Amino acid sequence: MTVSLQDRLTHSARGAQVGVGEAPVAVSLRRRWLDFGQSLDWRRRLWLGACGWLLFLAGWYLAAQAGLAPARLFPGPGQVLTALHTLFAEQQFLGDVLASVRRIAVSFGLAVALALPLGLLMGAFARIDALLNPLLGAFRYLPAPAFIPLLLMWLGTGDSHKIALLLIGVVFFLAIMLADDTRQVPASFIETAKTLGGGRRSVLWTVVFRHSLPGYLDTCRQMLAVSWTYLVIAEIVAATDGIGAMMMRAKRFVHVDDIMAGIVTIGLLGLAFDALFRLLYRWWFPYLRPENHR
Amino acid sequence: MKTNSGLNVHKAGKIFRAGSRQPRVALEGVSLHLPPGQVGVLLGPSGCGKSTLLRMVAGLEAPTSGALSLNGRAITGPGRDRGMVFQSYTSFPWLTVRQNVAYGLTINGDASSLKEGVVDHFIRAVRLQDVANAYPHELSGGMRQRVAIARTLANHPELLLMDEPFGALDPETRWQMQELLLGIVRKEHTTVLLVSHDIEEALYLGDVVFFLSSHPGRLREVIRPGFKHEVPAGDREALLDHPEYRRLDLHIRRLMSEEGRRAA
Ligand SMILES: Nc1ncnc2c1ncn2[C@@H]1O[C@H](COP(=O)(O)OP(=O)(O)O)[C@@H](O)[C@H]1O
Ligand SMILES: [Mg+2]
Repeated sequence: MTVSLQDRLTHSARGAQVGVGEAPVAVSLRRRWLDFGQSLDWRRRLWLGACGWLLFLAGWYLAAQAGLAPARLFPGPGQVLTALHTLFAEQQFLGDVLASVRRIAVSFGLAVALALPLGLLMGAFARIDALLNPLLGAFRYLPAPAFIPLLLMWLGTGDSHKIALLLIGVVFFLAIMLADDTRQVPASFIETAKTLGGGRRSVLWTVVFRHSLPGYLDTCRQMLAVSWTYLVIAEIVAATDGIGAMMMRAKRFVHVDDIMAGIVTIGLLGLAFDALFRLLYRWWFPYLRPENHR
Repeated sequence: MKTNSGLNVHKAGKIFRAGSRQPRVALEGVSLHLPPGQVGVLLGPSGCGKSTLLRMVAGLEAPTSGALSLNGRAITGPGRDRGMVFQSYTSFPWLTVRQNVAYGLTINGDASSLKEGVVDHFIRAVRLQDVANAYPHELSGGMRQRVAIARTLANHPELLLMDEPFGALDPETRWQMQELLLGIVRKEHTTVLLVSHDIEEALYLGDVVFFLSSHPGRLREVIRPGFKHEVPAGDREALLDHPEYRRLDLHIRRLMSEEGRRAA
């Protein structure tokens, strides 16, 4: 943040005129932070995001130092970082991480493969929507973890139980949200394509699907975050490998630092996937980049 | 019927029935004829059914009575022979200007037209050659509407349909667009049916003006500004200055205000 002295002076000068009896700094701060419709460049956003993280880490560090709980039960950030290093260096944690990522990839891929055709058809055709929306909408309200006992009996403790839990937890939401994305296509786009000679198939793919793609990608980004929740639940219930399994092993020996390291890992993976999706969005949809719009 | 008989609308009516609400008669017994190569304008007060009639010609709306045909073929649904330009901007944001103009030919698998440079011909005709590789969001409203016109014309429609295509533009741009459209249409001998609620636009563009009255929508009068042959083609000032123009303008204004009184 490079705020020139000049800048600060003019701000406080104006502030003094505006706020009678108020400290000029307060006025200037309010003007800077609480102004509607500002847009920030990526540098400033990165800097502020890092500040948010630093605040969180500092709070954590101070809380750990304050001695409210024994260090064994509430380790500070330094200890957790050391634990993370040890996990990767000495306890083959990478294998656990890869196992979890593989499960996410397979089951989320499967969920998208099922939900996308449903969402596209429901969003495009009112009768298919009327047929399926109440059904899928109701399934959405069933808490997926309630199926765990059933899934364990039917599918055992292997990968298929975890994939099934993720599917149940995600696929209904995904279908309904993808249908919502699909409905965003303006009727005039569809009608234009029809009067240009577009048949059902070409309108569906070259207009409805194509118009919805950015929305689909964004929805998938949101739902991927949800599927991490179900993965960890599944791995905590029954698994021999994976991040959740490691955390349950650590619990047995009261290795709180390892458990927290697992949580941090999940957070970092989530952040990485989020960044990946945003990158894809920018690559694939250059016409939606805000800086290209006037 | 002859194969080149133009657009024929025969006693077309449209009643909208929406759920529990009372049925709404939008159009009743409209018959009109538009010869090939002419520009027809549907003019009338707001809500008189102009858009409904245009959409029926496009095949986007089915008539509840009567029949419509283009060049001897009955209109039963939308088709490539009747391309439509809407008031809202409909150039596809994910395609560049050139890809937008080529869109109709691409989905119809019309490889020969694509090769023959039809796309570039119409991009030049609407004067967008400098932005051919830009995306629509980089363009102004008038330019986007030119993309839509070029896209429709490149697809070789027998009839170009336009629903208040310049209604969202500022007066200056609207003026230029009308001149541009008239130039292209004269050159390509396109048959056009255009919806307008602007008298000047109707008299400037139309070879024949169909005035509709409302509640229910009926064809009230067919106006042919034949005096236009006496002024140089496209010369707006000479046209507006012509005594016959002023007479028709006043006449249509009277029709409009009568409609307004009936509605009130
Ligand atoms: N889809 C529809 N459902 C019900 N009523 C409609 C529909 N479309 C148009 N109308 C009604 O038909 C009449 C004519 O509408 P429209 O053709 O849009 O008029 P205009 O284009 O001349 O302003 C209006 O009263 C309008 O409310
Ligand atoms: Mg209208």
